[in-house]
Parts: sequence; structure tokens; C-alpha cells
Amino acid sequence: MKTKLSLPKIRFPKITPLKITPWLVWVGVLSIFLAAGATCGVLVLWKGLSLTNLNDLVPWGLWITIDLSSIAVSAGAFSLCAVVYLLKLKRFAPVARTATFIGLIGYTMAILTLLLDIGRPDRFWHSMVYWNEHSMLWEVTMCVTLYLGVLLLETLPIFASFEWLRSRWPKLAWRMSQVHQLAPYLAIAGLALSMLHQSSLGALYGVLKARPLWYRPDISVLFINSAIASGMSLTVFASMLSARLTRRARVDDHLLDRVSQIIGWILVLYLYLRFWDVWAMNYTYQPGQTEGLHLLTGGPLSFNFWVGEILLGIVVPMFLLLNKRTRSLPLWRMLALLFVVGGVVAYRWDTNISGLMVVLSYLPGEPNITYASYHPSLIEFLAGAGIISYGLLAFSLGVRYLKVVNHNSTVIQVLQPESERMEQLPVPAGD
Amino acid sequence: MNEKKINRRDFIKLAAVGVTVLAGSQFLRQPAGASEPAPTGGHKWAMVIDQTKCTGCGYCTLACRAHNDISPDISWNVVTKTGQVGSQDVFIARPCMQCAHAPCVDVCPVRASTTRPDGIVMMNYDRCIGCRYCEVACPYGARSFNWKAFDGPNPAVPDWGQPEIARRPRGVVEKCSFCFQRIDHGMALGLTPGVDEDATPACVVICPVGARQFGDISDPDSNVSKLLRSRSSYRLREELGTSPRVFYLPATEVSQS
Repeated sequence: MKTKLSLPKIRFPKITPLKITPWLVWVGVLSIFLAAGATCGVLVLWKGLSLTNLNDLVPWGLWITIDLSSIAVSAGAFSLCAVVYLLKLKRFAPVARTATFIGLIGYTMAILTLLLDIGRPDRFWHSMVYWNEHSMLWEVTMCVTLYLGVLLLETLPIFASFEWLRSRWPKLAWRMSQVHQLAPYLAIAGLALSMLHQSSLGALYGVLKARPLWYRPDISVLFINSAIASGMSLTVFASMLSARLTRRARVDDHLLDRVSQIIGWILVLYLYLRFWDVWAMNYTYQPGQTEGLHLLTGGPLSFNFWVGEILLGIVVPMFLLLNKRTRSLPLWRMLALLFVVGGVVAYRWDTNISGLMVVLSYLPGEPNITYASYHPSLIEFLAGAGIISYGLLAFSLGVRYLKVVNHNSTVIQVLQPESERMEQLPVPAGD
Repeated sequence: MNEKKINRRDFIKLAAVGVTVLAGSQFLRQPAGASEPAPTGGHKWAMVIDQTKCTGCGYCTLACRAHNDISPDISWNVVTKTGQVGSQDVFIARPCMQCAHAPCVDVCPVRASTTRPDGIVMMNYDRCIGCRYCEVACPYGARSFNWKAFDGPNPAVPDWGQPEIARRPRGVVEKCSFCFQRIDHGMALGLTPGVDEDATPACVVICPVGARQFGDISDPDSNVSKLLRSRSSYRLREELGTSPRVFYLPATEVSQS
């Protein structure tokens, strides 16, 4: 059978030669990592966690660290929103806006990582339905889910400023932008939820009697303290870096300078708490705990601990950020902020791995300690890199198209469409 | 938009009251591990393992693999050599301790681990999300994760018994359950666990030297109660307060050389 096929005329768009810009290279590189990570993610979902180097002695590894870290570095969102809407320091609103966007990215990164890491991702919703209020992990899951909802509401006005959306659906954009009126209430909800889960992510380890290194009450306090430091640091660092790289980002350096100084003082508190945390463990021999501490202070984790966590993670940035001269030099300030973030990631990695590496035997008699080891597999690295690339890509797009780093005007004014204005004339003033 | 709005101050007050009430109600609750419902029939199952008799043959592990259809990569019951007494080797077999205050039950985010009225710590394999928190929390290393799917024939079947429960899927944590299926089935037939073989855990039944005893510890006349009264015994990591229901009769005063 022969039928005459008349091909519809396709109009090809004029191909303009692609100009290779730094932006395109950046997006290209991230996309490659993203694709590799997505492939590994699919492989893990298909073939299972046997593709990882995790085992029954070290069942939590690199992905848990990424998960904990991305939640920690998102803490700028709740802390800066609290500063703006509860302490009423309105001038920090543009910084809080950036932090909120980073928060949304961080929490979605954490959820993506968790979905990979649990054995049955198809049952992720079970903790919403089958509550065990006694479990730290249940509490964390509930808070993270609810807080993701808060972050979505908080970022709606940011998405409303997307130019394409504003021209296409002006009514929707306007409605979305109006959510900012809820900001004070969302700030309260965010503060409550974050105070709960940022600390109980530490308590999750701290309540385990079976692990003497973890079994101490102050892990929770250290976790929330370090999270606030790293969250604010990442926000300021990302803002400054964006402003240096693109004209689409504009910062008010005075604001960032103030926030950086606050970070310096938070680091003082963090160092103080961490000092007593470690010092108290150093006093007497406690089976399992002492060995774990030695892993950090003199063993395979000692570089991470002394250099990554303490020296570069706390002490150096503390001085750089509290000293007015170094703080006002953009390069030194950015370096200090980056160190804080790195130090907190190192702290999360060390906390998890040091507790798992020490295996305290259940056999009777003298406490018998053996050591487990863990090196992430290539698949774990690639999947992790993919998730981090997603975060970087999302932030880059946000800077470019949503102007998430913009200290010049507080919020991009989304104008109320004419038709809407007719419906409800008495628009309440204020906010 | 003109109706009365709750002002910010009132909202904070309301939120504070709400949070306080919610938090307070949580503190009034008993911890999940301690809140066992009133016992039905009052049984509390316990196991006694006699280290003077155990020869470390490992039959218990194999029978366990067959009856519970466990992958060769996993052991619910691990036998370890702990030392020597005289010229005799001393072994210790470690099933799940079925703790009265089980850390795994406390930490499970979805209540997949629960304590039955008869004291058995149960796993709901249809509910487990595979987060492995319980594995990290167990002081006895009694829990194993299914890193791979267990496909194909079970090498322990049929030589060491026939599977009595469903095989677990990939991605969930599994552990010893004192052969709850044998206890429940046997009791339904009017049998007595620990006395009648068909109502007793497979590892106890298979033991060629009779090193394991099983029974109701809440019944003072049961075999295990009598044994624990007549001999000195110990439990593993008692200092943690988990109250295991597996008791050991040491080979001598010092079980480890």
C-alpha cells in the first residue's frame, strides 16, 4: 500500500552559532555531573545498595554525610528569617531571601540523598503514616517534610519574580508574590521546626547507648550551633561569589559584613562548646568512647578533626571574621566563610564515621574493640557529586533568572494585574 | 481581607501554647520500649544457652537459615569462639536478645520493630523502609540489612529444615524472632514452647548436645526458670539496661581466658 505522505513543512529556527561563554561552560560541566549522578542513582534504585561500599558495620556513609551537611548549610534560611521577621531587623531581608532559596535547594538535596540511601524508597511515606514519636529519625523526617512546605511557601514570592511567569500568567505571579505577607508566621514555623530537627539530627546519634562515642547529650547542641554558622556562611559566601561573577547579582556589602561578624561570634560559642565536648571525653577511659576519640585526635581522622574541623573550620575563620580588617577584605572574608562550611561538612562526616568505625564487642569479659573501615564506592561518589551539582545548578539558575542575590530592591515588585485590582479594591496597606 | 486578623503577638502566644501542650503530652508518654500492653496469657519467652555444653558445631545457625529462609550472607544466630577453659574451647551463640527495653524498637521511625506482649521483638517486613537506624542502635549486632535480593535456592534447605516464613525482600533489615511462627503455630495446637519440639525455636530443637533451653520465664515452674534458679547465669552487656531475654550459663567462673 502506498499512501502519499505529504510531509508537513517544518520551519527550522535560524541557528545562531553558539557563543561559548563561561556561563555555558559552567552549566555544561554541572550537567555532565548531574547526568552521571542521575545514571548512578537509577542504577542504585535498580540494583540496590549492594553497589555501595556500605555494610552491616558501617551502614551509613557518604550519603548520610551529604544529607546532614545539606540540611546544616540550609540553616541560614530559618536563622536569617528569624532575624528579619522576629527580631524585626528588616534590613537583612534581602540576605534572608537568598538564604531561603539556598534552604529550599539544600532540603531537596537532602531528600534526594535520603531516597537513594534508604533500602525501600517506595515506602518513604511510611513515617508520615506509621508514627513512632519516640524515634529521633521520625521526628526529623516529619520536621524536614513540614519545613520543606514552609520553604516552598517562603520561596513562592521569589518564583513569582520569574520574568517568564510574570508575562505569561500575571495573575498567578501576583498571587504567589502575595504569600510574602505570611512571612512572619512562616518565620515562626520555620524557627520551631528547625530548632527541633537541626538539633535532633545530632540527638539521633546522641541517644544511642550502644555507641559510647555518640552517647552524649551535647551533640544536639553542637549540631544546631554549627548548622547556623555554616548556613549563614554559605548564604554570605554564595552572595559574594555571585556578585563577583555576574552583574545579575548585586550585594550590599555592609549587610554581608554585619552577618559575617555575627558568624564570627557564633564560631566563638561553637569553639567553646566543642572544647568542653572533647575535653570531657578525654578525662577517663570509657570503652568505645576513648577509642573513638583517638580516631579523631590521633588516628585516621585526625587531619579532618584538627585541620578541617578545628583549625580551618573554626579558629581561623573566627579570627578572620571578628577582625575588622580581614573581614572587610572580600577575599579573606570569602575564604573564611568557605572554611566554615568545609569545617561543618568535616564535622558531620567525622561524627558519623567515627562512631561507626569503633565496634564494641558484645562478648562477655573485658571490653573488646575492633575497627571497621569504609571507603565510598565510585557510584556513591558520582551520585553524591550529581546531587551537589543539582544544588549548584539550581542556585546558578536562581541567580540568573530569579535574581535571588539582589540587595538593591528588597523584592521585585510583581504588579497586581488590572483585573484583580477591580475585584478587591480595598487593598490593605502595610508590609 | 478586612475581617479581624489575629495580630502577630497573639499568634506567637497561640503557637507557644500549642507547642507546649504538644511537647508536654509527649513527655507524659512512656517510652515505646517500656510500654508493653498487658500480657495476654502472661507468657514471657526466654532462652538459656549453656556454654559448658556448646561445642560450637554451628548446627543452630544452619537450622535457623533453613527454617527462616535466610540468605547464606546473613546469620540471625552467630556462633563465636570466646576462649578456652582447660583444654575445652568455649563458644557463645548470639541470637536476637529480645530485649525488654529494646533500643531498636525505640528508634524505628515507622514502628516496623515492635515488642509483642510475650516479649518477642518483632519485625514488620512490609513496613520497614530500610533506614538501618535499628542496625546502628542494636548493641548486639543482631540485625542484618538485605543489601542484595536473596534469589535462588537456599543451600540450607532441605538438609536443615523447611522454610516456615516468607523470604524478606531486598532493602529491609531482618533479625531473629525466636521462631515466633513455631511458637504461635504450636500454641494454637495446644503445644508448649520449650517442651514440644514443634512449638520451640529451630536452634533449640536442632542442638545435638542440648545446650539450649527455651521456655516461659514468667512461669516459675518452667524449665528455664528452674535452670536459672539452680545455676548462675549472665546476660550480654547488662550494663546498658536493655534487659535481654537470652541468658548464658558460663563454662566456668571466667568464660574468657
